[in-house]
This record gives sequence, structure tokens and C-alpha cells, in this order.
Amino acid sequence: MFFLRSLTIFFFFLIGFQVFSQEKKSVNGQVLDAANLQPLIGASVFWEGQAQQGTTTDLEGNFFLQVTALPAKIILSYLGYEKSIRTIQVKDLEKVQKFYLRSEDFSLEEILIEERRGDEQVKNMELGKSTLSMETLQSLPALFGEVDLLRSLQLLPGVKSAGEGTAGLFVRGGSADQNLVQVDGAPVYNPSHFFGIFSVFNPDGLKKVDLYKGNMPASFGGRASALIDVAFREGERDRFSGEGGIGTISSRLTLQGPLLGEKSSFLISGRRTYADLFLKLSPNPDIQNNQLNFYDLNGKAAFNLSDKDKLSVSSYQGSDLLGLDGQFALGWENWVSAINWNRVNSDSSYFDLQGYHSRYTYQVKFDNEENGFDWTNSLSETGVKAIWTRVLASKSTVFWGIHGQVYHFAPSDLKPAPKNPITRRQTQGVQGLLGNAFVGITQEFSDKLTAELGLRQGVFAQVGEGKVYQYPNTAPNPDVDPSDSVFYEKGELMQRYQGLEPRIAFRYLLRPDFSLKAAYNRNYQYVQIASNSSAGLPIDRWVLAGQYIRPIRSDQFSFGVFRNFDQNRWELSIEGYYKDLDQVIDLRNGARILLSDQVETELLSGRGWAYGAEFLLRKNKGKTTGWLGYTWSRAWRQIDGISKDHPYNPRFDRPHDLSLVLNHQFSPAWSSSFTFVYSTGQAVSFPIGSYQVDNQTVPLYSDFRNENRFPDYHRIDAAVTWKNPDPGRKWKGSWNFGVYNLYGRKNPFSYDFRILYNNDINYNPSDGDLVSVRPGVVMTYLFTFLPSITYNFEF
Amino acid sequence: MKTNRIFLAVAFLLASCQEEVLLDLDQKKDRIPVIEGYWTDHGIYNEVKISLSKNYYDSLDQEFVRDAEVFVKERSTGRKITFSYLNATRSYRPNSGERAKVGETYQLNVNWKGQVYQAEGLMLEAPSVDSVTYDYLEKRLFREEGYYLKVYGKIPFEDNNYYRIRVIENDTLKNQPEDYLLFDDSFGLLVFEKGLELGYAFQKNDRVRLELYRLNKDAFDYLSQLVSLLFNDGGLFSPPPQNPESNIRVVKGDSQVLGYFIVSPVLTRSVTLPTK
Repeated sequence: MFFLRSLTIFFFFLIGFQVFSQEKKSVNGQVLDAANLQPLIGASVFWEGQAQQGTTTDLEGNFFLQVTALPAKIILSYLGYEKSIRTIQVKDLEKVQKFYLRSEDFSLEEILIEERRGDEQVKNMELGKSTLSMETLQSLPALFGEVDLLRSLQLLPGVKSAGEGTAGLFVRGGSADQNLVQVDGAPVYNPSHFFGIFSVFNPDGLKKVDLYKGNMPASFGGRASALIDVAFREGERDRFSGEGGIGTISSRLTLQGPLLGEKSSFLISGRRTYADLFLKLSPNPDIQNNQLNFYDLNGKAAFNLSDKDKLSVSSYQGSDLLGLDGQFALGWENWVSAINWNRVNSDSSYFDLQGYHSRYTYQVKFDNEENGFDWTNSLSETGVKAIWTRVLASKSTVFWGIHGQVYHFAPSDLKPAPKNPITRRQTQGVQGLLGNAFVGITQEFSDKLTAELGLRQGVFAQVGEGKVYQYPNTAPNPDVDPSDSVFYEKGELMQRYQGLEPRIAFRYLLRPDFSLKAAYNRNYQYVQIASNSSAGLPIDRWVLAGQYIRPIRSDQFSFGVFRNFDQNRWELSIEGYYKDLDQVIDLRNGARILLSDQVETELLSGRGWAYGAEFLLRKNKGKTTGWLGYTWSRAWRQIDGISKDHPYNPRFDRPHDLSLVLNHQFSPAWSSSFTFVYSTGQAVSFPIGSYQVDNQTVPLYSDFRNENRFPDYHRIDAAVTWKNPDPGRKWKGSWNFGVYNLYGRKNPFSYDFRILYNNDINYNPSDGDLVSVRPGVVMTYLFTFLPSITYNFEF
Repeated sequence: MKTNRIFLAVAFLLASCQEEVLLDLDQKKDRIPVIEGYWTDHGIYNEVKISLSKNYYDSLDQEFVRDAEVFVKERSTGRKITFSYLNATRSYRPNSGERAKVGETYQLNVNWKGQVYQAEGLMLEAPSVDSVTYDYLEKRLFREEGYYLKVYGKIPFEDNNYYRIRVIENDTLKNQPEDYLLFDDSFGLLVFEKGLELGYAFQKNDRVRLELYRLNKDAFDYLSQLVSLLFNDGGLFSPPPQNPESNIRVVKGDSQVLGYFIVSPVLTRSVTLPTK
């Protein structure tokens, strides 16, 4: 009831503003890149002499600017583009004004690294949000020369990696499955290749990535920690072109151009590894016959249906295959499709409708008559989202909408080969429905104070068909057999949860270049991975909230100081946060869940909390650009049944984390990039002794989890790029030479506590005589001084 | 575990290395007793071994506890079966020739330095083993060339299907982590009727003895967790390492205890492989 009443009051509040807005007039326009007709996002629009009271263009390049007196000169400016000035008459208010900005000539003095306004970070409402443009991403040194979306985000404050060479993200103390990775609005359930060494997506096919570290508008939700919002690029509308690259382990190709005249475009982009080819070089025939590859393929078509309507269709498919000897294979695949319709109803009203489908499948297959099997699983999410936005003349913008999601987690099915006598194992499928309604308003109370208020209400239902086991008088545990089970028919309600998610943010402008921001966010998460390893696996078991598994609740309070210096050349931000998590899960010792229908017996649940301070100094203009980021943070979990019920740090708790990113343009032909990262070592458990049992020497561990640390992690990566400076050539090539871990730091990937025979870490006791047997520690480390070379081209 | 190895195989291919390091490890000052108790229907297997934990890098021999009071109590009658320390085996052996009886619950009691440890187990009926066969097989994926044994038998039980097979090759127990052969009825037990192939390549002339145990769930879980821990390489794909959950309780005192108590029937079969 409280929610309904709040919602009603909220809508009345909005309607009040709408009535007021009828009396005001504004000019409606769109700002496009003159070269490719792409909308320019975040361009500044203001009346001559009133630069402080302007507005910026939205995602489609649209803007509405309130009129005071006409005729008047309107000014449009965008970093890296020539300014546009036009006189607006009264009659111009009747139709949409189009502005085409031309890119400035290449200049060594002003290198654009981000498509955003210089004072964006001070004036916007965003707290805990980072944006990386593809230009920035592609300028960073990369492992194997492979530009990697998610690994690049690890260079930002508040984002931790699971460990060396992995692309999983841990944002502000949240687990990796608490991040929603979405592309054009559609979720990607396993955004990694090669067990996380690389992330999915060919970077050439992407437009940008926004990272929301917990504070997000009410139109987004569903995960407790972060949103990684990736946008595919649209094709150019004036000419066909292509680009690509030939790298150390993969090659890429992107083609784009007009589709049906200038009102539509296409872009298709692919990447394929050829690690298999290196396997063929091995002298070992066992390795030669293996398969190891992945590919990414994405495409996007965009259509301007009318002056008011735009439609885009995008799809991504990516797959991994690891095969041994033609008999054993492990493969996984994401297939994500989205359709987006954007409509400009009037000069102050937009409508966006989105539909998507995301499917993730994996297969483990052993081709053998007597011992073979075929194990498959898939899960999918289908959704529809509608958002209505109104720009009100009272310096406020409101939006509201709905988001419906259908989850289908198919049975995990292990089918033995015809002559294999093991019994087929099949779990039951699980279905869930999630309906969300949301509303939000951004209200400028004064020149200095702006607030963004939002509410999101989610109603989740697990529905049949399905079976729920009953455990009378006890919590589910593997030592107690269920007394009974209840079967639910198809579509029948099995369990329902609902949660109200308030989103509140304030920005107070102390000076035009200095602001304070504060925010509070609540999120509920109804799907999660049941796992206790730190890095994601392709066969991870996703579970839906149900009778025994409650949704995760996350509350985050954050505060930030944002200051720009030297005409926005330098940006400084300091943010602090406290995050509280409830109903996070972990697994019991020895849990077996992959093919179990009683996952609940293997789970333990509890709470978590995290806090930290993030410092970011960023330089966006000039020959030298980059940033220095430092984070001090802690993450904790407290789950009954683990660590003697005491709080413990998850493995990714790394209190100090520093990253320095530098790019320098020496000349039109030569540029270089450099990154240095340092962080406290991972929180782990080392043995406190050893003992012998069952003829084995076994490390003895403390009852308390993760009380030890790996050594500090640090490394430097560097890259040099040469590109043909002749702008008149049709074919533009560039070479990138990079080195990962320049000074060859041996950062541990793991410590294995095991018995060493004959003082040789590779000696197998069955190989021959034993001279000595003793306990030892074997460190595995990856990637020391790893050079790479990539040739990139455009035509 | 396997995934971890696959990941490392991928990483090795790409650029990984291994080396021995010396870590400065915090060590537990108190030594913890480790109890390994077997109570079976074969007198030769019935013993209780008590040793102490040590520092991780300590390569000295096991230190055994010789002065504990050890007995097994038959729950239905309350009768005590006392054990005495035997230097030759470095374990406690029953003073009488008694053996476990099917259907009976037995309680292990160990009193040492004011601490009392207890564990219980139900003696279960043994399955039947009809035959053990062997075949010489060429190299296959995941299998070397050699003689492979198949065990044929019947498991007619609906519950408590937790089994272990220990393999002794030429008087040496196969006890590498990958040698553990533990199975339950998760994938059915038809495989036992159709012939359970042991995943070891034996050589000509090998004398092979098999011991089949039918375990209680807690003992089976202990061994499963032990194997997981032995395979845990401390990497990102391994769960946080934890000691296997012992089925032995501390009923008096405040010390920890490690190890297990196994009550089980034991079926043994021996095979000698041909000379060619």
C-alpha cells in the first residue's frame, strides 16, 4: 500500500509539472556528425551569451532548449568539432532543427579521447559511473594485443580483477555475477572467452561502454552491484568502409555502410582466433590434434523510419570450442539479439521500446562408445522494456516505464553414450517472471542544486512447471533426505518476491568547475551463480530465487567530490561508498550442484558489506592524456557455516589498488601508451601445518577463511603505435607493438601446496626411483614479458 | 578441478610457468590429533591410528600417539571392544578377534590427555562381486596402453550406496590423488553389473588386489572432500581450501580433531596378469 500511495503522489507530482510546461516554448533540434550522420551525444547547446543555461544532446543527438526571446543565436559546440551558430526565428520552432557539425582537422594540441563535454563530470548527476570510449580502449596496451573491453575496465577505480589474466569484474565489493553485462540492452550471461582470459565482443564493433558502479537510474536494475552497458556501433550512412586487424592470436574485420539509401545503415563485425594453428606447431602429437578457438560475430542495422522514428536491430553471437583429439569437446555460446525503437513524439516527449532475447548454452561431449556422454545445458532471458521520457520546461526531465523479463533455465542434461551403463541425469528446468515498473525525475531546483529521484518496483515469480522438495523441521542440508515434494503445473506460481528499489542522487554545484554529489541506491537481484570459485566457469550453475533461495538485496550509499582544473583539461574525482548486501550465497564444503535438483541443500546464505574510497585524476586533452586511479576498499562476507560464522574477506578483497594510464602522441605517425597497475595481493588461505591421513600428506588449513595474502601484484604494460600519417590514402594501416608485463614480474596465479618428489616439481613418483619426498609450494605464474604485434587497417 | 587443468593447459600454451617458492607460512603451535579408524568384518583391517599434525615444511616422519585409550562400543549391547597400541603397526589393534556385524552401530572412543573423541558408524551389508576380468587395450583418450580390469557384481541396495575401491598393485597401494576410486549411485549402479572399468593401466605380471568398501555417507563425504582438497591447486577455479569435515566429534575438551572413522564390510579380489 505504501508503494502505491508513493507512486500516486509521484505521478501527481509529475502531472503538475506537465501542466506547467504547456505555457513554455522551446526549440527542438538534433545534432549530427556531418561526415557520417551519426548523432553526437552530449553536445553543448545554448543561446549566445547564456552559456551557463544551456543543455546537452541526448543519446540520439536530440535536444530541447527553452526559448526566452526570438530571434536569437543558438550555439552548438562539441569537443573536436567546429562550432555551429544559427539564428533561430519563431517559425523555426515548428519543426526539428538539424545541425551538422564538422570534425576539426587533426591537431596535436587537442586530441579527443572521449565523446563528452569537458565539464561533464562536474555537472552531470552521475556518481560511480565511468565511461570508456572505444578510442581510449583501443589505445591501451593489451594482453596478446587483444583489445579487451572488460579487462580495460579493471583499470578504473573501484573495479577489481579476480586474478592475473582474467576478465571477470568485481565492482565495489560485489561478486562477478552481481554485474549485469548488457549489449544494446540485452544481457550477456557469460561475457568471457577462454575461461575468462578474454572477454566477448570484437572491440571494432562497439561504440562505447558505460560502467555504473552501483548507482544507476531507475530504468536499470536486476543486479546488485554494477551495470556494464555496452553499445554496438551503427554503420556510417554516407559510404561503405571497413576496418580490421591481424593480431598475434586473432584477426578482426568490420564492414559498414548505407543499407537502403542514407536513411539506414549496417555494420557487421567479426573476430576469430587461430590459437589452433600454434597447436599444430607443437612436437607433441597429443597437443597437435587439439582444438582451441573462439569467435565473435555481431551485426547492427539501423533505420530512420521517419523524422521521428528510428529502429535498430542488433545481434551478437560468440562461441568457444576446446577439443581434445577429436573425441572430447567443451564448448559454450552466447547468442544475444535486441531490437530498439526510438520515437520522438514531440518537442518534449520521447518513447523507447526495446525487445531482446539472450541465450547461453554449453556442451561437454566425450565421444566414446562405452564411456562417452553428451552433457548440455542452456538458459535464456527474454525481455521487453518501454520507457517514456518527458522534458519539462521547469528544468526537469521525467521518465517512466515498464520492463518485463522471462527467464528459462533449461534442464541440465547428461546423456550417456548408447553402451555407457551410467544413468542419464537430468535436472528439472526452472522458469521465472520478473515485472518491473519504474519512474524517475531529474529536477533542477536551482542553478546549483539538482536532484534525481527514482523508484523501481520489481515483482518476481518462480513459476512451474517444477518440483520443490520439502524439509520439515530443518533447513535443507545434504544429510537430510527430503520428506516430500510438491509439484507445480506449468505456469503455476511457485514462489513470489517483490521489492521496492529507491534511487536518489543529488548534485550541488559549488562552482562551475566544482561539485558535490551524494546518492543512495537499492537493488534486488533474482538470479545468481551458485559457485565458490573466484573466476567464472562456462559450466557455472545459475539459480533463480525460489522457495529456499531469496533474492539478493543491495544498498549503496555514496558521496563524491568532483573538480575540474585548467579549463577542463584535468578532472579530479574522489568518491566514497558503503555497500550492504543481504542473502549472498556460498557453497558448503564438497558441494555438488551441477547436476543436482536439490541445490538448496548445498547452499549457505548470509550477508556482505563493502566500503571504500576512490580517487581519479584524469587528463583528457593535450599530447599526453590518461589517468591516475587509486582505490582503498574492503569487502566482507559473513555466512553461517563458513569461517566459523565469522566475517571473512572474499578473494578479490584487495585494499590498495592503483592504476596509471598514459597515452602520448609524439607525432601524427607515432604514439605510445603505458599502464602501471599495483594492488594488494588476493586474500587466500595458506596452510598452517600438514598431517597424514589415508596415506596422503594433506595441508592443514585454519577454520577461518582467507586470512593470508598473495604478494602484492604489479606490472607495467606498454605499446607503441605507428600509423601512416597520409590522410589522403584510401587504405590506412597502422602497426601496434606491445609488451605485457614489461619488467617480467612473476605475479602468482596460484600456489599449490603439494608433495615434491626428488626435489623436482615435475617428477612423478611412478616415473622411477624416489630419492626424496617432501612438502613444497609450487607457484604458477602467467604472462611474463609477453610481446605482441598487431596490424590494423581501415579502408 | 578438471576445468582448472584445462584453463592451465590453455594458459601454458599461451605463456605460463611454474617454479618452487618458499613462502613464510604461519604455523599452528598446537599439534592436532589425526585419527584414522577402521572397523570392518575382516580382522586384518581393524585398527585405529592416531598421529599428530606438524608444521607444513616439516619433512620428519609422522609422530604417533601411543598412550591413548581406544575402544569401540557396540551400541546395541553397550559392550566395549578394547584396543591396544602395537609398535609393529604403529596403530591400536583390538584385543580380541571380534569383527563388525551387519546391522550393528559401532561407536569409536578415543581418550587422550583429557580429551575425548567419538564417532559412529553403521555396519552395512556388502554387495556381491561376481568376477574380475582384464583386457589389454590400446592407448585411448585419457587412458594409456595396458591391461584394464573390470569388476562385475551386484548392488541390490536402495540406500547407503557409497563405495570405495582401493587398488593394490604388487603390494603397493595406488594412492596418488588421481587413484581414488569413489562412487555412489548418482549415475545409477548398473555400471557395476555391466562391468566397472578401473581407470588404471596395469602391466604384464602385475599382481593386483582390489578391496571394495561400502561406506557410511559421512565417511564417503570425508574422502570425497579429501580428494577435492588434494586436487585444489589454490587457483581461481578451485574453491577456497577447507579441511575435510571429519565424522569424529570432540565430546570433551577443546582441541580440534582430524581424520575419520570407517565402519564397512570389505570384499577383496586378487588377479595376476599374464606374462605377455
